[in-house]
Amino acid sequence: MQSLNRISAVMALLLEWIMVALMVALTVVVIVAVLARLLGESFSWYDEVAAIMLAWITYYGSALAALKRRHIGFDTVLLALPPRARMAALLFAEAVVLTFFALMAWAGFQVLAILEGSYLVSLTWVPVQFTQSVIPIGALLFILGQLLSLPDYWSKTARGISLEHAEIEEEVDTEMSRSAGHVIGEVR
Amino acid sequence: MLMLFIFVALVALICINVPIAVALAMAGVIGLLATEGVNSLAAIALDMYGGATKFSLIAIPMFVLAGAIMNAGGITDRLINFVAALIGFVRGGLAMVNIGVSLFFAEISGSAVADVAAMGSILIPQMKKRGYSGALSAAVTSSSASLAIIIPPSIPMILYAASANTSVEQLFVAGLVPGVLGAGGLMGVAYWFARRYDLPTEDAFNIPRLKTTFVEALPAFTLPVVILGGIFGGFVTATEAAGLAVIAALVVSAWYRKVDLKHLRRAMLDGGMQTAVVMLLVAASVLMGGFLTRAQIPQQLAEGILSITSQQWAILLILNVFFLVIGFFLHSAAAIILVVPIVIPLIQQAGIDPVHFGLVVTLNLAIGQQTPPVASVLITSCAVARANIWEVSKVNVYFVAVLVAVLMLCTYVPSVPLFLVEYFYR
Repeated sequence: MQSLNRISAVMALLLEWIMVALMVALTVVVIVAVLARLLGESFSWYDEVAAIMLAWITYYGSALAALKRRHIGFDTVLLALPPRARMAALLFAEAVVLTFFALMAWAGFQVLAILEGSYLVSLTWVPVQFTQSVIPIGALLFILGQLLSLPDYWSKTARGISLEHAEIEEEVDTEMSRSAGHVIGEVR
Repeated sequence: MLMLFIFVALVALICINVPIAVALAMAGVIGLLATEGVNSLAAIALDMYGGATKFSLIAIPMFVLAGAIMNAGGITDRLINFVAALIGFVRGGLAMVNIGVSLFFAEISGSAVADVAAMGSILIPQMKKRGYSGALSAAVTSSSASLAIIIPPSIPMILYAASANTSVEQLFVAGLVPGVLGAGGLMGVAYWFARRYDLPTEDAFNIPRLKTTFVEALPAFTLPVVILGGIFGGFVTATEAAGLAVIAALVVSAWYRKVDLKHLRRAMLDGGMQTAVVMLLVAASVLMGGFLTRAQIPQQLAEGILSITSQQWAILLILNVFFLVIGFFLHSAAAIILVVPIVIPLIQQAGIDPVHFGLVVTLNLAIGQQTPPVASVLITSCAVARANIWEVSKVNVYFVAVLVAVLMLCTYVPSVPLFLVEYFYR
């Protein structure tokens, strides 16, 4: 359990830095492109590169969201089931998620093999294999994140606790402690 | 038969808490396998990649980031102070302030939950101290924060525009009038409660105080000016405005000396992860959408409904009821991504303006955020107020009634949302 937590922490840290780097890069690209366009300049690579960054944010961020169980779901019915049926349904649901991402990883590697030798339209030195690598890698990371967060999800669901509600409570607690003692008319 | 099976599988997967994006993608995979066989599975990689590269959706991480920077950047206090000086003198002043701040806040927000947590944690304890019940405090906060999603910039509107292939800029303009009308209505209900429970006014109206608080909050107003002015003036696209909003947010936070790298990193992370969650849904809907289009489901639906009635009012009524039901069970982003592509052919064939319909859908789903079981904004408000969700809902019914009235007005008097659009764009 201890080592599992440590692996989760390392994975979270790694993905968090990847995400921050991607977000910084996307922000810089978008801002530079807007300012350039307002000054009458435009970059041929902007659309293509920004769109690729969005895809990378999608999949590295999805893996992180899987690790933190933040994907949008609907747990009312699941939590209303009697305990045994609930845990069986949970296992089935996890199996479905893992199956899908295994398929996506497999399809991703197949497509990568086909893309050997193609390059981006606007930046002809960037191989498409590199930009599309996010699909199989993202799928594998998603599987890892899902597995690492499964024990916690399992125990919370067994006790009938909704992850979304737990997350909201956490957010509210941080904000409440930040705003404690605040009086309208004053600036903190 | 296949379609029925896929639909049942989709609902069943969602009910056992498979992430909606994955349930959707899996439904798409079943469709692919059944119609085109195992060799077509490479489409999973192609669609999931292609779906995540929708250029117009780059506005989403940018707006979320700008909002997160502003939330951390000391803007909340100053906005509240300014609005308190502006309308706090009315009976039930703090409720009015709450509604007014929501409107301003909406300009800069990506996540309603984060905003309710940030704003509610300041206002709700004050309201309770001044004699408002927890239930009333939570209801005011929840309903006004939900109304905010029809005021630009709005993530659900960006998603709708991408799904319906229509102009997000026009949709932003369309949200303004209904947003202001709705806020007026909510304030009316709050006033009625204030009279009934004899709730206090805040400090008397005072021009010098209004001035100081305005000057303090002034840098924060650059954001709506940049976003609304830039877009409505036709200088920039929504995506570009989102980029400028990030610059403005950084500059304003620096002005207030509230930029610190830890907050910025947190903002980047929250923004990135929220984007990823929504984009995974978008990508999955492309996988499912390919199958739906080949099976001609949207066309069949359109023909089916049009064979019953071709009256616009009846079609809008059916869709409103449908979205209202969907809103009980799905978050607004998921509902839009899931349903809009399927009903768009119907909208087109019935001759309904897609911008008009977009406003109806987003407003409808704003109401859906008030209806448990899936009601993230309401649940957050209740958590802040430490109030029971059913007690809050009993009060909230009156506020939701206002939102429903605005929805009906916008549905059946299209010129309410559209006349500004006509003025600016047509």
